Amino acid sequence: MTDNESTISTQNPLTSGSSPPPKKKRNLPGTPDPEAEVIALSPKTLMATNRFLCEVCGKGFQRDQNLQLHRRGHNLPWKLKQRSSKEVRKRVYVCPEKGCVHHHPSRALGDLTGIKKHFCRKHGEKKWKCDKCAKRYAVQSDWKAHAKTCGTREYKCDCGTIFSRRDSFITHRAFCDALAQETARVTAATHAPNFMDYHFLGMPQHFPSIFKPINDQTLDPIQAGHELTHSTHHPPFSNLSFSSLPPTTFYNLNWDITHTSSIPNHKEATVSSLFSTHQNQISSNHEAEASARMSATALLQKAAHIGATTTDPAMILGSFGVKCSDSGLVHQDGNRLCGLYSTSSVTSGFGSDVESSVNENSAMNGQLQMYSSSKRRRVQSHEEEGGETRDFLGVGINPICHPSSINGWI
Amino acid sequence: MDTNSKFLNPRINNGGLVHIDMQPSTTTSSSDSAAEGGGEAKWASKLLRECAAAMSEKDSAKMHHLLWMLNELASPYGDTDQKIAAYFLQALFCKATDSGRRCYKTLVSVAERSHSFDSARKLILKFQEVSPWTTFGHVASNGATLEALEGESNLHIIDISSTLCTQWPTLLEALATRTDDTPHLRLTVVATTAAAKSAMKEISPRMEKFARLMGVPFEFIVIADLNRLGELTKDALSIREGEAVAVNCIGALKHADVDERRSVIEMMKSLNPKVVTMVEEEANFSSNRNDFVECFEECLRFHTIYFDMLEESFAATSNEKLMLERECLRNIVRVLACDDKVEEHDSERREKGRQWSERLREAGFSAVAHSEDVVDDVRALLKRYRAGWSLVLPAEDDQTGIFLAWKDEPVVWASVWKPSK
Repeated sequence: MTDNESTISTQNPLTSGSSPPPKKKRNLPGTPDPEAEVIALSPKTLMATNRFLCEVCGKGFQRDQNLQLHRRGHNLPWKLKQRSSKEVRKRVYVCPEKGCVHHHPSRALGDLTGIKKHFCRKHGEKKWKCDKCAKRYAVQSDWKAHAKTCGTREYKCDCGTIFSRRDSFITHRAFCDALAQETARVTAATHAPNFMDYHFLGMPQHFPSIFKPINDQTLDPIQAGHELTHSTHHPPFSNLSFSSLPPTTFYNLNWDITHTSSIPNHKEATVSSLFSTHQNQISSNHEAEASARMSATALLQKAAHIGATTTDPAMILGSFGVKCSDSGLVHQDGNRLCGLYSTSSVTSGFGSDVESSVNENSAMNGQLQMYSSSKRRRVQSHEEEGGETRDFLGVGINPICHPSSINGWI
Repeated sequence: MDTNSKFLNPRINNGGLVHIDMQPSTTTSSSDSAAEGGGEAKWASKLLRECAAAMSEKDSAKMHHLLWMLNELASPYGDTDQKIAAYFLQALFCKATDSGRRCYKTLVSVAERSHSFDSARKLILKFQEVSPWTTFGHVASNGATLEALEGESNLHIIDISSTLCTQWPTLLEALATRTDDTPHLRLTVVATTAAAKSAMKEISPRMEKFARLMGVPFEFIVIADLNRLGELTKDALSIREGEAVAVNCIGALKHADVDERRSVIEMMKSLNPKVVTMVEEEANFSSNRNDFVECFEECLRFHTIYFDMLEESFAATSNEKLMLERECLRNIVRVLACDDKVEEHDSERREKGRQWSERLREAGFSAVAHSEDVVDDVRALLKRYRAGWSLVLPAEDDQTGIFLAWKDEPVVWASVWKPSK
């Protein structure tokens, strides 16, 4: 991921300069391989689910491979297409909807399933509805994923009150005194490396697999139907609020929100090596922020190797009225994240349902796109949250960071 | 204990309140109500109605006797019957002794002294957690407003309501999490009572902070220089070019003097809003205001349902429940024992949905049904509360709006209006 400076969102893949690295790797979503063949399917084709039909029983399949395997059951001759030995030109797909960000070839998606889901989610009719909370989804799998966790989540306010209902949580949050204090800290904390530290602390909880060499591309959100939020007017929070964890299948983590007990141990194991020096910092109070700065920088550099995604700092910065200077990027980022973080604590709580998968994926993708190698240091706070997890204040999820210490520096 | 003389010589306590000595009589009452005919006996409403009738017929002896009986059985700390008896007894007494106005004013000043922003906030939020009484209107209105303003980039919502802004955080969140660009929201809140005005001082910064957190470009204005809704003018609202206006009217029009309601609605029409969302409690203390018995019956009916709802929604020893019940006393005294010429411009003369609809139609508005999506949201909302709540959709064509029902009794009406072509 880090090498792809050429894949910053705004560039046309055809004009990008860097040559693909020798190892086969996934590109960032929506920033296709310049050599790829661009395919534009019609809405009808995209929406069609089972195009491959069995001639015997009429059963439909999404892919040819599945149909072939099925044909064996009828004792029909079948043949699985072998991957051709010569270089197959990679295909990328554009969204048929004019006006959509992915309509343009430079923002095509590399996966057929991805473009299908994107089209459904963003431009399709929302046919699936959750009966608990009335949320609507265009893609059935999104709806199913949501239904699993709807109503099981808890939201915790900074003041300590826990809510089982999102609307009560939101209303309470707006009126809670903890909110007033939080904002005061945000503006006061111009350098808040702890924030990023927390980020990192948070990160491994859910994605231990992320701590691998960057080539592994474990952070690739894959088929995300994504929406690039590059518009400067786009409120940072829209990003954040949707940047809940992608569905578990995304990262092949079968973690169930109800079983949080296993998580802390896991986290500690993976985190301790990286963050041991920092753990104490996190639990320290506001005054310790300055001294924590050094270790935060070190951490960031370390983390840069691991790879992380981030949201566009400028947007967040702007929203908090904090100046963005060129020097001390780390601290800037920290600052921004600081604001980001505090709000995300609010919003990721809100947006933790798979609100609309497109949003969360888009936020992810947006963030991935947003960053250049130098900035690519932070993990999204919400990544750790995921559709299933609760807020970052870590209802049962974050043993290292005591929730109050987060507030300490926020 | 000579209760008769005690009754006829009520003590005026330090607060200037006519004090009817009511002792919590839990043991007596249970046996009494048992004697009255079992746990289900609605002895309170029976006695109260008879008393009201006697009062209206000027049957002094009967009235005194019934008041005495009620005094014996009533208690603001007992069961629902006892509470209803206690509060309505107070109102009847005020009516009989022509002390309604004084009693009301005392109640108002006591409330103002004892309530702070913190206690009001706690009360409202707690109520919203245990009962959809108010959140029903919020969800229905926010949904309708968002749909009507879809695609607009400059929103101006004029909030004429009693919600103390508790409706707006969820709307802000909805705006922030929409997939398209977040519009700019200007929110103008109209506060006419002293309590609301002082609460707004605390609420303003909170709303602004929250909107910032949500990433919604936000402007918050409070109009606090009015004493009554009738004084609000179009100019005061400073509507800008290119703004899409929505008027949110929740529980506020009933506070306007009955004679001023028409002009308030006409003023709303003059703003040329894209949508008007209106929510009111489903009760009629207005058209019957000159018929004491009829008004009394309706007041009794409505508050019996309300008290029953409170009883089942809150914990038995809830302080918030007690405070809400006490607030009812103010309203009941105002409606039954005060004439409309009282200086406090806070009328409590509720009107039913059908009546409000007629007013809105006369002013040039047409009803719009809540969309399927919003209705679903309301249904989902009700599911989040305890059993007993239901949604009632309009049956006939002339009935507009949807109703929240408690045990199948419609209690809150929510509607959506647009200017007619």
